[in-house]
Amino acid sequence: MIWAGIALVVLLALLGAPLFAVVLAAAMLGFMAAGVDLSVIAINIYDMTDKPLLVALPFFTFAGYLMAAAKSSERLMGLTQALFGWMPAGLAIVGFIACALFTALTGASGVTIVALGALLVPMLKSSGYSERYSLGLVTTSGSLGLLIVPSVPLILYGIIAQQMGVGESFTIGQLFIGGLVPALLMVVLLSAWTMLHVGDVPRTPFDAGAVWLAFKAARWELPLPFVVLGGIYTGFVAISEAAVITVVYVLIAEVVLYREIRWRDLPGVIRESMVMVGSIILILGVALAFTNYLVDAEVPQQLFVFMQEHVTNPLTFLILLNLLLLVLGAILDVFAAVVIMVPLLLPVAVGYGIHPIHLGIVFLANLQIGYFTPPIGMNLFIASYRFDRPMLELYAACLPFMGVLLIALLLITYIPWLSLWFL
Amino acid sequence: MIGFAAFQIVARNVFAAGLTWADGLIQVAVLWVTMVGASAAAGSDRHIKIDIVPRLAGPRLGAVTGRLTALSTGLLCAALGWTSIEFIRWEMVDGTEGFGVVPAWLCESIIPVASAVMAARYLCRAAWPAADGPSE
Repeated sequence: MIWAGIALVVLLALLGAPLFAVVLAAAMLGFMAAGVDLSVIAINIYDMTDKPLLVALPFFTFAGYLMAAAKSSERLMGLTQALFGWMPAGLAIVGFIACALFTALTGASGVTIVALGALLVPMLKSSGYSERYSLGLVTTSGSLGLLIVPSVPLILYGIIAQQMGVGESFTIGQLFIGGLVPALLMVVLLSAWTMLHVGDVPRTPFDAGAVWLAFKAARWELPLPFVVLGGIYTGFVAISEAAVITVVYVLIAEVVLYREIRWRDLPGVIRESMVMVGSIILILGVALAFTNYLVDAEVPQQLFVFMQEHVTNPLTFLILLNLLLLVLGAILDVFAAVVIMVPLLLPVAVGYGIHPIHLGIVFLANLQIGYFTPPIGMNLFIASYRFDRPMLELYAACLPFMGVLLIALLLITYIPWLSLWFL
Repeated sequence: MIGFAAFQIVARNVFAAGLTWADGLIQVAVLWVTMVGASAAAGSDRHIKIDIVPRLAGPRLGAVTGRLTALSTGLLCAALGWTSIEFIRWEMVDGTEGFGVVPAWLCESIIPVASAVMAARYLCRAAWPAADGPSE
């Protein structure tokens, strides 16, 4: 009976039912089997609001949508171009950095492909990069930035991990710091590979005047990373307060100072971000209920016992974890993977002595690669649609980038120090 | 919707003023934003989903699976709304406080209301898929 129920839930997911409904069905099934009144799910959704951290999500999302609606992406490109354009493979490095920052701020890698890709691909091609390289860069770099503050999946991981309360406790601030070096490592490896393989493309000479102009154009947005990061890392403000400050700041910058978003456009942006926030937090709410069921039913413990019988070595466990997550990352949306897999895997990983921050970083690094893993990574579809190219061409374009990022992933997985150096 | 957004901005300002009950208000506001946003997402069918089969399947099969998933999602939303009423009834009996003088059941009432809206929207989509598509 219970297996029939599980099969039904999996079928629902595969057929394309909304994710919240799938998790809701799983939670209801679980609580029904355990003989718990189903109103516990509504209680879980309401209790979720007790987490001050949750407040950060709508604010960061709204700020991201505001920046996507304004011309921030052009200014970001202009500035990185003026700063790094003189280096070998400079424009490609510009692309990596701009994509990483833009995804971190907007929280959605599809948005980056659509917003930055339109600028980047023509720029790359006209400065001598092959079409295949340009497409590969935009498709794969759309998910760089998953590890950089204030990425929404990173916050989600933090909320769920703290809810579970297993392993060493950590703060969201620590999780954010943990993501910085691995993200930097990916950008550095990609840049180094580009320098070696793409070879001679013309560079733009360094021009102090252009840098100054780009700085001036971006003057209202430039302080933002320092406000967010500085505020959080100095412990001066909590994450949720930083999020509120970010929204107020971005609102003033884009609407009052740059005047790129008109007042009458605001309700549209608000509506868009509310739809996004609504669908994410609703999933989180039902996922927390499901997590509580799993913990009550001791499912992760049983999974751990089962794993221990077959896998004794933490390293072997990590390799299996990487393989599993790469496959899942290609099939599942990043939010789905986090809310479904973290409650199951975190206690098991902790059992193998893996630090929760390290697991979170490995987790998201895998999902990031899964985003453009053939045949069905989400970014491939978005890029194929956006640039009107057949999927096979995109598979070929992405493969070398994937190779480089897999090396980065291995380093991140097997050198925990990269994500835990500050502890 | 616009009035609601204004409420969000006011809430933010009150938060900055640092009143003791403001934290509670903000948290409830997040719940309301979530539930209203989720209802809107249901209206324009923009909830996050794992759409492997519809992506690979043809349009005809896709229409069938679309109806099936909409029907089950509608029923699940209805179940969520129905069971949440029970929870709210207890809270009314207990007289739990939400924030300030506002009772908790009033804050929570958005859960069954939004669930009902979502249930209705998905059931409509199951019955008349032709009406599908962005509602804006």
